[in-house]
Amino acid sequence: MKQKIMPLITIIALFLLGIFMPVILKQYHLNMLTEIIIFALFAVSYNLLLGYAGLLSFGHAMFFGLSAFVTAIAIIHIPGLSLWNVILIGVGAAVIVGFIIGGLLLRHKGSYFALLTLAFNALFYAIATKWHSVTGGDDGLSITRPGLDLGFTSIPLDSLTNFYYLTLVIMGAAIVFCWYFTHTAMGKTVLLMRENEERMKFLGFNTNISRLILFTFTGALAGLAGVFYTLHFQFVSISAISPDMTTAVLLMVFVGGTKKFWGPLLGVFVYIILQNYLSNITDRWPLVIGVIFVLMVLYVPGGLSDVIMNVWQRFFEKKDNNGGKSATAEEV
Amino acid sequence: MSDYLHIQNIHKDFSGLKVLTGVEFKVTEKERHAVIGPNGAGKTTLLNIISGKFKPSSGAILFKGKDISGKPPNVLNHYGLARSFQITNVFQELSVFYNVLAGVRSHHGLRYNFFKMPDHDRNICEKVESILEDVGLVDVKDQPASSLSYGQQRALEIAITLSTDPELILLDEPTAGMTREETNQAIQMIDKVTAGHTLIIIEHDMEVVFSLANIISVLHYGTILVSDTPEKIRNDQRVKDAYLGEG
Ligand SMILES: Nc1ncnc2c1ncn2[C@@H]1O[C@H](COP(=O)(O)OP(=O)(O)OP(=O)(O)O)[C@@H](O)[C@H]1O
Ligand SMILES: [Mg+2]
Repeated sequence: MKQKIMPLITIIALFLLGIFMPVILKQYHLNMLTEIIIFALFAVSYNLLLGYAGLLSFGHAMFFGLSAFVTAIAIIHIPGLSLWNVILIGVGAAVIVGFIIGGLLLRHKGSYFALLTLAFNALFYAIATKWHSVTGGDDGLSITRPGLDLGFTSIPLDSLTNFYYLTLVIMGAAIVFCWYFTHTAMGKTVLLMRENEERMKFLGFNTNISRLILFTFTGALAGLAGVFYTLHFQFVSISAISPDMTTAVLLMVFVGGTKKFWGPLLGVFVYIILQNYLSNITDRWPLVIGVIFVLMVLYVPGGLSDVIMNVWQRFFEKKDNNGGKSATAEEV
Repeated sequence: MSDYLHIQNIHKDFSGLKVLTGVEFKVTEKERHAVIGPNGAGKTTLLNIISGKFKPSSGAILFKGKDISGKPPNVLNHYGLARSFQITNVFQELSVFYNVLAGVRSHHGLRYNFFKMPDHDRNICEKVESILEDVGLVDVKDQPASSLSYGQQRALEIAITLSTDPELILLDEPTAGMTREETNQAIQMIDKVTAGHTLIIIEHDMEVVFSLANIISVLHYGTILVSDTPEKIRNDQRVKDAYLGEG
């Protein structure tokens, strides 16, 4: 029971902390925090594929970028479009594409799956680059955020603080749902398929359909993050859909660690802060991040969350060292 | 009146290697049917075909009058078939409880649900407990499967097979690798948990076969040599020559 209550308390604590952030932080840092929260959802959705289902995708940015572009295009071409409809259209695009591509990838796992997702991502990137009239090509697209219509009142979102709160609520809710998802029947199904797919078939599970549902679901979540990415920067360029963006999310998740639900959250936090400070110091920041990544793969393959768990166990759970084993089995 | 299960002229080649060459036998409802045969005779291959792991090269499998050959395992499971594996095939990292939970919730239709937590459902948890009780694994239900002894892993293999509440149970050498004593215990348990179901069991241990089965089929060189009651099989000259005489 404690196992399940603890993350919930953590989530609520983080959320309460988040509410006070605009009071504490300067604009520059609040900006960064908004970005962190958006990428947190992107990374969490990626980890549902990588950490939970064991599917290595090199194409997660295609959902993120697609929804980011669809958001900008919709706002530009449909005057008066409400924010809710922008979100609906942006996420809807990711769902449709996720379903179609997921259907084509259904039977593939392992390296074939990784390569095919990379190929699809490259295809989307090429379209975004070449289709200048719609996507703006290398120049990108600029937009202004629509206000938030709540029916009885409407809240302007031009101030960062207001947009920050919207991001906190919606991204936060989506992340909490992802956490909940890992405990549901479908979440467990995905996990058990990684463990022993053949046995799952003999227990009545259609594993291809399960993969398709998961792929579409995680694509939709990445799409939701993509919508907020465009709304946040009020701008989208091809970098949002480039394979580099996939690499970025992979690095974030890896730095934080795939074994714990909160690993990617930590990873995003560290990655974005590091990136911001490094890019102020040197233009070669990707090189530095690359070196850090290589060192991590070599020496801390479990990511930062793993390090924290080890330290925690060493200092706080010294006494019970045989209860540990069953806890791991419970948790997966 | 059609038969419960009719294995009809099943052939199976693996790229030229003819493993099954016209397997034919019938199983009536609630029967306990043993399939015996020497190593490499094709027993597991036959079970793989019945349970949907392989498609037969030709032939049909009529289950309650309907051809089910070539249907995928998950669909056959919904029809009420379940199988165990000769080589233990469980969820090693998961606790014993969660190993059995997977099939029980599948049977309750909780496969792809995005909102319900199966381990919060009382009916499902009680069913898991009762299966674990039947196979004697309640005491270790919170241990990961990988920490179990060999005998306990074999019991878990059967528990998982029972978890979807099948009417037709296929067991592939459930006592393989067990000591005499473990085998006797396992057989008593299997006898109890499969009561009232139809059972097809592949078995090497003759004592087990003769004590458990009502009908025995002898698979030899890819076909069924004879299919009859244990007494008749024991005295059948062809079987003695081909199989029993050997060991
Ligand atoms: N997937 C496969 N591909 C190729 N050949 C196979 C395959 N499965 C089984 N065979 C071959 O088919 C023959 C029968 O194998 P099978 O496993 O069915 O025998 P068995 O009767 O179960 O033997 P045992 O008593 O040792 O379990 C063997 O020669 C085996 O090598
Ligand atoms: Mg065999």
